[in-house]
Amino acid sequence: MLSLKNISKYHKAGSLKTTILQNINLDVDAGEFVSIMGPSGSGKSTLLNIIGMLDEPSEGYQYFLNEPVHQLKDKQRSALYKANIGFVFQAYHLIDELTVYENIETPLLYHDIKSGERKALVADMLDRFQIVGKKDLFPSQLSGGQQQLVGIARALIVSPKLLLADEPTGNLNSKQGDEIMELFSKLNKEEGMTIIQVTHSEKNAAYGTRIINLLDGTIESSKNI
Amino acid sequence: MIKNYFKIAWRNIVRHKAYSAINVAGLAIGVAACLLIFVVIQFELSYDKFQPNYNKIYRVVMQQKSGDVTEFYPGIPYPMSEALRVDFPGSKFATVQTSYGSQITVPANTNNTTISSADKKFTEDMGVLFIQPQFFDIFKYKWLSGGADVLEAPNTVVINRSTANKYFGDWKNAGGKVIRMDNRLTLKVGGIIEDVPSNTDLPLRVLVSYSTLKSHLAEYDLEDSWGNNSSNHEIFMMPPDNQSVSTINTQLKIFTQKHYGKNEAKTRFHLLQPLSDMHFDTRFGNTLGDHITNKATIRTLSFIAVLIILMASINFINLSTAQSVGRSKEVGIRKVLGSSRVQLIKQSIGETGLIVIFALIIAIGIAKLALPYLKNIASVPDDINLISEGSVIFLSLMTLAIVLISGIYPALVVSGFRPVLALKNKITAASVGGVPLRRVLVVTQFSISQLLIIGTIVAVKQMNFVNTADLGFNKEAVLIIPGSTDSISLQKSASFKQMFLQNPGVKSVSFISDQPSSQNNWSANFYFDNSGTDKNYHLYMKFGDADYFKTFGLRFKAGQPYSQKDTTSGIVINETFAKKLGIQNANAIIGKTIKIGGGKWHPIVGVVEDFKTNTLREAVKPTIIIQDKKEQGEIAVKLNTRNLSRTVASVQKAWETTYPEYAYNGYFLDQNIADFYKQENQLALIYKIFAMIAIFISCLGLYGLVSFMVVQRTKEVGVRKVLGASISSIVYLFSKEFMALITVSFLIATPLAYYMMNSWLQNFVFRIPLSATVFILAIAASIIIAWLTVGYKAITAALANPVKSLRSE
Repeated sequence: MLSLKNISKYHKAGSLKTTILQNINLDVDAGEFVSIMGPSGSGKSTLLNIIGMLDEPSEGYQYFLNEPVHQLKDKQRSALYKANIGFVFQAYHLIDELTVYENIETPLLYHDIKSGERKALVADMLDRFQIVGKKDLFPSQLSGGQQQLVGIARALIVSPKLLLADEPTGNLNSKQGDEIMELFSKLNKEEGMTIIQVTHSEKNAAYGTRIINLLDGTIESSKNI
Repeated sequence: MIKNYFKIAWRNIVRHKAYSAINVAGLAIGVAACLLIFVVIQFELSYDKFQPNYNKIYRVVMQQKSGDVTEFYPGIPYPMSEALRVDFPGSKFATVQTSYGSQITVPANTNNTTISSADKKFTEDMGVLFIQPQFFDIFKYKWLSGGADVLEAPNTVVINRSTANKYFGDWKNAGGKVIRMDNRLTLKVGGIIEDVPSNTDLPLRVLVSYSTLKSHLAEYDLEDSWGNNSSNHEIFMMPPDNQSVSTINTQLKIFTQKHYGKNEAKTRFHLLQPLSDMHFDTRFGNTLGDHITNKATIRTLSFIAVLIILMASINFINLSTAQSVGRSKEVGIRKVLGSSRVQLIKQSIGETGLIVIFALIIAIGIAKLALPYLKNIASVPDDINLISEGSVIFLSLMTLAIVLISGIYPALVVSGFRPVLALKNKITAASVGGVPLRRVLVVTQFSISQLLIIGTIVAVKQMNFVNTADLGFNKEAVLIIPGSTDSISLQKSASFKQMFLQNPGVKSVSFISDQPSSQNNWSANFYFDNSGTDKNYHLYMKFGDADYFKTFGLRFKAGQPYSQKDTTSGIVINETFAKKLGIQNANAIIGKTIKIGGGKWHPIVGVVEDFKTNTLREAVKPTIIIQDKKEQGEIAVKLNTRNLSRTVASVQKAWETTYPEYAYNGYFLDQNIADFYKQENQLALIYKIFAMIAIFISCLGLYGLVSFMVVQRTKEVGVRKVLGASISSIVYLFSKEFMALITVSFLIATPLAYYMMNSWLQNFVFRIPLSATVFILAIAASIIIAWLTVGYKAITAALANPVKSLRSE
């Protein structure tokens, strides 16, 4: 599904060059559930952002669904990720001014989906995550676990091929965290959703099919479970 | 999608209530002010445009060189009216003689035109015209009854609908009725026209057939001679389409030479003034209407409107970009969810649009409330409309402009956020749209408010100076009663004066032609000291009996007033005249003689200290005071200030019983003099109001910006306090930048304001110096105002407990 070849990322500040990622080679197939682990500052989030095309590598080749991402223009790249990638964040990143319903609906607006179809899709999603009763509440009225559920529902509503999650349980207590992980596992197994998550927790990483360990910007190990 | 934008915009507005209120309030007040200015300007520019021949009509006016000054007259000599028709056969002409302040008497008994105390008397300040029927070939009006041809016959009158309603109860009853004018003309109503709109310099109310005038020339200050020019005798011309203005002006030169002679034609000639210039050309004095408006005034107003709207937009840009920092997370999320940049720009502009529309609705409300007060600052009619086709277009264009000006920049800034940074909350105030731009905007705002503050100080100071200036005579408690110089009135005058003086409240009484300071000019050529050739400049005359000097408290430099029964017909001159005649020692001129025009020689018996002969816009003119009963139609009564209103009432009663056929129109001299400066006082008021609006808007902007800065720098303040910063140093931290910006804007505003107000002051010969104090006052005011705005927020921030502000991090 995606392939990274010799990807490097560094920042230049004056004469000081800080390397964040160095010569990363990584292939992920459809249906995998990859957990990226590593200490703080090892480049996990940057790697995830590059995969999600929110950030650009300084060097290297990147392919997604056989498209050479490094050659695409901004517009084509946005179109590519818009159609195929869903994001889940540690801090949920719901829009505070919108209700649960509207938050889930927002991506559909950007995909130019008609009103009637939008209603059906959002209703399905609310149903599936059992949050129909909360649809008119604002994010601040929900618990952290519920907010993350909404965040995941929002990511899934456009049926992405790849789900990227940056420490999705980092702000949750362990019970809520487990529930989210169960959900990811179910999505992966039952619907064949490709998932890449960044996590600190061994326990959460174990939900996946492969664990990649990063250290100082390089892949230290990669093992299938 | 749009619904979604508006929803989120609305929720944002509600969530940041204080902030939205500042934005909306600033904009609403700005838009309201602009809307009102627009209404005024639109009204002024619309004068007479409803005439179908608007662009084809001209007034034939006159220019005359006297000495080194060129004077402009709107009128023509009486015989010229016919001569023009003969010499320009292809053109249409209409002559109009205006009679200001004419008295119309509507007899109580319509069959019997003898005087009765039950007659209704009206004084018509304007709109009474002797008019030729051809007038209606050039100007188009709606006739309710009759037609232009009724004006062929003498002693016929056409009245407009509302005046006819006033005279006869209902205009339908007016046909064939008889009215008297100035107690000398008896006129039969031959037609009624519809009321003319208020945006006209030709207010037609009582239209007397021009042929009536022929036997009453002298009574209306006319003379059948080419040498006598009356400003009230005007002619309108509509040349054929194939003749250009320059051709006609050339032909008018030949015309002038033919009728005045080669010599006269060197200093005096006629030219065309387009109808479209008439309302704005101040050189010719007032038109037949109630006022003319200097184009400069219209420009000043438009300029102020643009400044105000600019300030409000700047607020918007400043506050929106500042606030966008708080919105950066949302923008980041939207980008991740697939929003394109264009969609974000649309959303941002949509939000701006919503606030602008909101502000617009409030602005219309404010303007509606303020509309009745508009006539205090501009010469607009009471029934002026706020909403018209023009103002709707103006509002739409303004909305569009504001949305574009104040929406696009913040939209570009917001949509340009990089999602990764935005989501990590790494967007700061400093990284948004650059601090330099914000500084430029604040400087612009403060320059505008200081410009208006300086304008206000200068205008108010000058008007104070004008209102309290020593005019060289005493204007307090002098009642002026316009009357008549007909033979019956003149016979009564001596006994009437005695009767007045019996009243203990009356100090002195004088029959006069003109008060010391007035807007009238009566000039003539003259000969000095038995010389056979006349001087190359004119003298100016005011007529009054011997009590003129006592009544107005004129101060004598040399000699004394002439006496009531002075058979040598002595005259009194002013100092300026004495100096202009080249005599420095006032006493030396006593006994010398002056001959006015073709008259007899008058000895000079006194020299008075200079008094202001006209408004303070004009220099003191070489003036003589002389008696001539036939010219002294007004009565000046100096009153005791005690029991003033009772005395005025008894004076009015005495006057009315002595002159039953005349309407009483007494007024106080000081009020009349104050009215000279109506437009200037209006302008001073406009400056005051708009300076206040400008200050208000810039304070709102400043307050919004400082509140925002305080929030942004909470952590910094916390850290500084932990490190031992004092409260005053924190307050200084917040205010030093604004102080610097105000200083910069002062440097920009000062030369602009100096230029602007200096040229305004040039309107006055008597004016205040433009001193440094004015400018110092302006910057002091700005700094104090800015301090009051910034201070509260800065002090609150400085007093905040650092433990609290740092805990959240």
